[in-house]
Formats: sequence, C-alpha cells, structure tokens
Amino acid sequence: MTIDLTRRAAISCALALTALPVSAQETWPTEPLRVFVGFPAGSSPDVLARIITDPLAERLGQPVVVENRPGAGGVIGVQQMLASAGNGHTFGTTINGPLTTAQRMLESTGYDVAEDIAPVTLIATSPLVLAVSSDAEMTDLESFVAAAGAEEEALAYGSVGQGSGAHLTAELFSDEAGVSMLHIPFTSYAEVTTSIMGGEIDAGFMAPSAALPFVESGNMRMLGITSAEPFPQAPDVPVIAGQAGLPDDFRAELWNAFMAPGDTDPAVIDRLNTEITQILEDPEVQQKLLAIGWQAAPGTPAEMEERIATDTQMWGAVIDRVEAQ
Amino acid sequence: MTTWEGLLYGIGFALQPGILIYCVLGVVLGSFVGVLPGIGAMAAISLLLPVTYYITAEAALIMLAGVYYGAQYGGAVASILMRLPGTPQSAVTALDGYPMARSGRAGVALFAAMASSFAGSILGIAVLVLLAGWLTRAATAFGAADYAAMMILGLVAASTIGTERVAKSFAMVTLGLLLGCVGTDVNSGVQRFTFGQTELLDGINLVALAMGLFGVAEVIGNVRDPDRQAVAERIGLRAMMPGRDDVRRMGWPTLRGGALGSFFGALPGTGSTLSSFLSYAMERRVAKRPERFGHGAVEGVAGPESANNAAAITAFVPTLTLGIPGDPIMALMLGALVIHGIQPGPLMLEARPEMFWGLVASFGIGNLLLLILNLPLIGIWVAILRIPFRWLYPAILVFVCLGVYSVRGLTFDIVAVAVIGLAGYLLALARFSPALLLLGFVLGPLIETNLRRALLISRGDPMVFLERPIAVGFVLASAALLIASLWQAFRRHTGPDRPRTT
Repeated sequence: MTIDLTRRAAISCALALTALPVSAQETWPTEPLRVFVGFPAGSSPDVLARIITDPLAERLGQPVVVENRPGAGGVIGVQQMLASAGNGHTFGTTINGPLTTAQRMLESTGYDVAEDIAPVTLIATSPLVLAVSSDAEMTDLESFVAAAGAEEEALAYGSVGQGSGAHLTAELFSDEAGVSMLHIPFTSYAEVTTSIMGGEIDAGFMAPSAALPFVESGNMRMLGITSAEPFPQAPDVPVIAGQAGLPDDFRAELWNAFMAPGDTDPAVIDRLNTEITQILEDPEVQQKLLAIGWQAAPGTPAEMEERIATDTQMWGAVIDRVEAQ
Repeated sequence: MTTWEGLLYGIGFALQPGILIYCVLGVVLGSFVGVLPGIGAMAAISLLLPVTYYITAEAALIMLAGVYYGAQYGGAVASILMRLPGTPQSAVTALDGYPMARSGRAGVALFAAMASSFAGSILGIAVLVLLAGWLTRAATAFGAADYAAMMILGLVAASTIGTERVAKSFAMVTLGLLLGCVGTDVNSGVQRFTFGQTELLDGINLVALAMGLFGVAEVIGNVRDPDRQAVAERIGLRAMMPGRDDVRRMGWPTLRGGALGSFFGALPGTGSTLSSFLSYAMERRVAKRPERFGHGAVEGVAGPESANNAAAITAFVPTLTLGIPGDPIMALMLGALVIHGIQPGPLMLEARPEMFWGLVASFGIGNLLLLILNLPLIGIWVAILRIPFRWLYPAILVFVCLGVYSVRGLTFDIVAVAVIGLAGYLLALARFSPALLLLGFVLGPLIETNLRRALLISRGDPMVFLERPIAVGFVLASAALLIASLWQAFRRHTGPDRPRTT
C-alpha cells in the first residue's frame, strides 16, 4: 500500500507541476484545497467526503486535504470552515442539519446560512427506514399506524438525539399519520437498534445501513422507507408515501452537500460544481456511496439553495409543532 | 464451525505473513503512540485510516486493533513515570504507579503494568472465545435501567478510593458530576453551561480534563518546588525486576481485575473505565493494609491494568456483533470496516469467520509481541526520569498541547487544558483526589441519561429499577456497599482498634 500511496503522491506532484504554468496566469487552484468535515474520521459523512475528495484532487491537480472538526452535530465543521476562509481554497461538506435546522436548535451557530454559505452541489441523499423488532406484532405500515394510534404514546421510538433527522422524521410521520408516539433520544443508531431488540422501545427511523445487518439476522423488520422511490440498498422495503393514510408526497431525506464560504468567486463554485457532478456520474463512485447508505444526487448550486430553503421550512414547521407540545 | 475449529483456523489465518505483518505494525505503533500522552490510539488510527483503503478488511481490522490494545500498554508508561494519563483508565494506574516511580520503584511499577496487562489480555481473550455468544446476549439484555443501576454501583464502589477524608472524596465526585453536566443534554436537547460556546456543546474534552488535572497540575507543582527533582539514581536490571514479595502481591489482583474487565468490557459505554476504577476499589477493600494505597501499592497498578486490558479485548464483542462502539476509537475501527463495505452485526461470526477468528488469534499473537517488545523497553522508559526537569517539562507541555489538539483540532481545547491544569494544581495543594473528579465526570452523564431514559420508557414509573432482575441486583449491591462503608466508618471512629494513618 505504501507503493500505491507514493505513486499517487507522485501523480499528484506531477499534475501539480504541469499545473504550474497555468497557475502563473492566476488560474484557480493555486494551492492545496482544504475541505472541512464536521464529523470524526471514519464516520459516514467523513467516508462520503473522502470518496469525493480523492478523485477531486486528481482532477484539480492539487491535493485536497480533509480536515475533521467534529462536534455539535456538524456545526463546528461549518464554523471552522468559515474561520479559515478567505484564500479561495477552503471548503466543506456537511449533512443537512447545520444548514437547515441548527439555527433553530442552537442559541447561536455564529453564521447565517443565506449570507455566509455558498452552495456548490448536493452530493447524495439518504432516506430513513422505519424498523421494528421481528418479535413485534406490527408486520406492515398499516398495522404499525393502527398500533400507534391505539392510544396516546402507545409506542415508544428511539432517535439519535433531540432535533436529529431521525427524531424530526418520526415527528413528521406521526403528524401525517395522525398518531402520537413517545420519543426516547439516544446518541447512535447502534444504541437504538440494541434497545429495539432488547424490547425496551418499539421502533425507530434509521439509516438503512444501520438496520440491514439486524434485518438479515432476523432480529428486526423494516416496515417502510421515507424516500419517494424504493431505495437500491433495500429495494424490498415499500415507500411510506401513499400507505396507511399517509399523503402521496410524504418524503423525508437526509442529504450531504459540498459548500463554500459565502464570498467565494462564482467561477470557482462553477468549476467545483462541474467537477463534482462529473465525479458523481462515475458508476464506481455511485457504488461506493451506496455501500455506505448514500445515493448520489448531484445538482446545480441553485438547486441546492432551493433544497436548503424548502427543508428549512419543512423541518422548521415540525420543530414548531414539537416545541408547542 | 466449532469454537476450537474456529480458533485453529484463526491462528492459521493470523499467522499468514500478509496478515502477521500488519499485526506487528499495529502493536508496535500502538505501544509507541500509547506512550505519548493524549495522542494515543485515536490520532494514530485516524492517520492510518486512509491506508486501510489499500489493504484487505481483515488486515485493516487486525492492524487497527493492534494499535488499540498496544496503546493500552504504552498508556501506562506516561502515567507511571510522569503522571500524565491520556484516559481515565490510565489515571487509575497513576494513583499508585506514580508514587512508586517517585520512590525509585519505576521499574517494578512498569513491570507490574506490563505483566498484568498481558495476563489481563489473555483472560479477556479466553472469555471472548468461550463466552462471545453469551456476552452478546448480555449486552442486548441490558436496558437503560440496568445501565443506570450499574453505573451507580460503580460510582458508590469507586468513591471510596480517595486516600483523603470521605468528605473530600464526595466533594470531588460531585464536582466531577457537575462538570459532566456541561454540554447538550441528550434527553431534552437543552444546552447546559455552554455560555454560547459551540466548543462546549459536546461537553468538556475528556483528554483535556485528564491531562490538565494530572499532568499539567504536576508540572506546575514541580516548577514551583524545584527541589522535588525525581529520584534518578541509576536503575539496574535488578531494581527493575520485582521481588518475590511484589510478584506474590500481583497475582490475585491481576486475576480479579481481569475478570472484572472481561465482563464490563463487553458492556458498551464505559466498560473499560468502570472496570479500572472498580478493580482499584476492590483491591483497596480486600487489602490487609488499605492505607498503603495511594503511596505506591503494586496491587493498585496490577489490578486496574489487568482490568483495562481485558476490557479492551472483550469490548470487541459489542462492537462486532451489535455495531455498538464502546468508545470513539472503536467507532473509528467500525468506520474502517464500513469503508470496506462490512456492516458489523449478529451474522458477522458466521458470515466472516476469517475476520472474527483471525482477529481473536491476532489478539493472542499481538499481546505476546507486546510483552516481548515492552519488557526490554522498561529500562529505556525509566531513563526518562533522568532527564533534567528543565528539559522534560517543556517537552511534556508540548506533548500535552499536541495530544489535546489532536482530538478535535480546536485551539479552544488547548486553552481549556491550561485552565484545568491551574485548577488541578489548586486542588492538589488542598489534597483533593483528581481521579474521583474524573470518575464523576465520566459516569455522571451516563447515569443521568440512562436514569432519565429508563423513567421515560417506563412512563415515569420508578418501579422499573426493582422489576428488572439485572437492575435490582446492582441496586442491592450498591445499597449493601454503602451500608458496609458506613458501618466501617462508624467502627473506625468508635472501635478500640483505630488504625493509624501513615
């Protein structure tokens, strides 16, 4: 592997050298890129970022360094990106939270999404599945909604924290299905699945990859998925939309996106958008993303801006309802 | 595949040159980075992670695991020689290891740490091989109420480890519990004592707290008192080897610590920390002369070191079968597996026997290597004590800053370690035990979260703590221990055989 690394380094250097005459004409990029990730090395958002940054480095002819600044649900990553901004070579990837719901969950994030963040492109989306223990009597969405609606807080569900995607999705679901469930916050999907299997709680919305090992072992069952279409990683799970009295447009997805500081040169944003979109068209990259539970979803900066706006509004309304309870 | 077939297969797998080399690489790297306080396994594994893209998943896991348990050996070195624990577990080792080093018995302390680490690991491996299935079921059977009750037992048991008066011990545990409140409350999502600082949303950095309270405080103390130059006479091989008396004292504590560690390690969360503290508390309780503890009792090094190494091994059970990482380093290793498209789960053992059994076999090989590697190094480590303080202390402070910064890459944490170090110095002046503060800090948030979670799930019914068999066991044990301690204290103050304090 050392040989491979050196070879890669050599290619990068070679590319960097060939880029030198161009950089003399002040063409971006003139130095290594830094990409801030608000999650620790080895986490799903970190692996996702590295799947993109490796080919990006080759295409730009400059090293792309991933800087992990974990904490506060990804908000610290965004803050640190903004604190290091100013040279046109600082960027970040983030999950939806810091750009959509964080402003509502924290006293102050220290940044204004519309003003301080320039969207580059959505990288990928991930739906959540509704999972229950295989010992449970609920076998499909219909029976789940019936059981949940039997009385107030008849079922307890686990999430990965107050205001997390799993929590808000479950609240959105409850609201649309006309039921009320008891929320038990945990800190990781592994804790949620263990608690479901131990019979402490009844259900949970979670990333498909968190549920799959336990579904395959026969300990858990997936009743529905929050995407508009069946998800390739779990193709047999029916979409929730249109079932058991839920609206046809029911949809809740987490996403992961590439962003830049607000004052980044629009030409640089365009260049990055083009490169990353092309990277995401590579079937091998798509396969790697799918293996960790993400479906490639490239788009234009305007589309990402649109997505931030609609999601901020959608989750904001859910938070309003939760806070009103 | 039966257990024995699996194990034989695993040994064959792990001894392949292409796998063995990564095991060797892992443990060597681990034991060296473990010596660097605070930098430890976390930074090393983060740095190695990109490398694992280019090797097989099995080789990657075996290498990263080697760094993980290898660092447990190294971690003892900095705690014993310089009172610089990077983790709460090594803080326990420092309690008696550092006084031993100060009184010229650094070699014996290091030997005790290495030998009991090895013994503990072997015990952990045996438990892992024989009881993996049972441990998995135990981990799923533990609910929120059971965890809360278990941690309360841990807190009660370990609160007695301070060498000072009971009131001082309680004060430190309470201060730790309070500091543990800083950050976002899991249950309500409310931010407590963060003063609008995003850096505090996930609480105070544990590494900063451990190294500030112990290492930095110690450095400040020594700078103020320059005559306290460590006993640095030339230590020959003879002084390094423990006497017959030391060996006799180490046997049972090592076994008991290993047993505690093997069990608690399999319970995700704080298994390792809890078992170190419990082992120390237990040794103090069963000792004929408990007043020796805190002044260089070799049992206080052997027991906890055996416990945390056993726990480091059995912690792989929930990680691999339930996907629950016991600590951030385990989470990193899970990440490495996920990169290779492997989602840990109950089918891991059947679906990937070569990975499971290969890993188990590599534990044995790796620990043997670590013992062979580390015993001769004791002489070199002890030589650190001969470095004049004017060279050693600036170097220590640089390593502390590096270590703290490497956790999250935030300068905030460097400022935090300085402030905590100053506070730790003041606490040391007043002879408060920083280890208890650390214990309260680690267990407090877990007790609170699990207690409130249990009550949420039971819809507010406190009977949940008396209805679940596991919980009720821990509650009764805590109660018994409290009564016993009170009775002892009562006897001590009124009885005729009032022991002298040394």
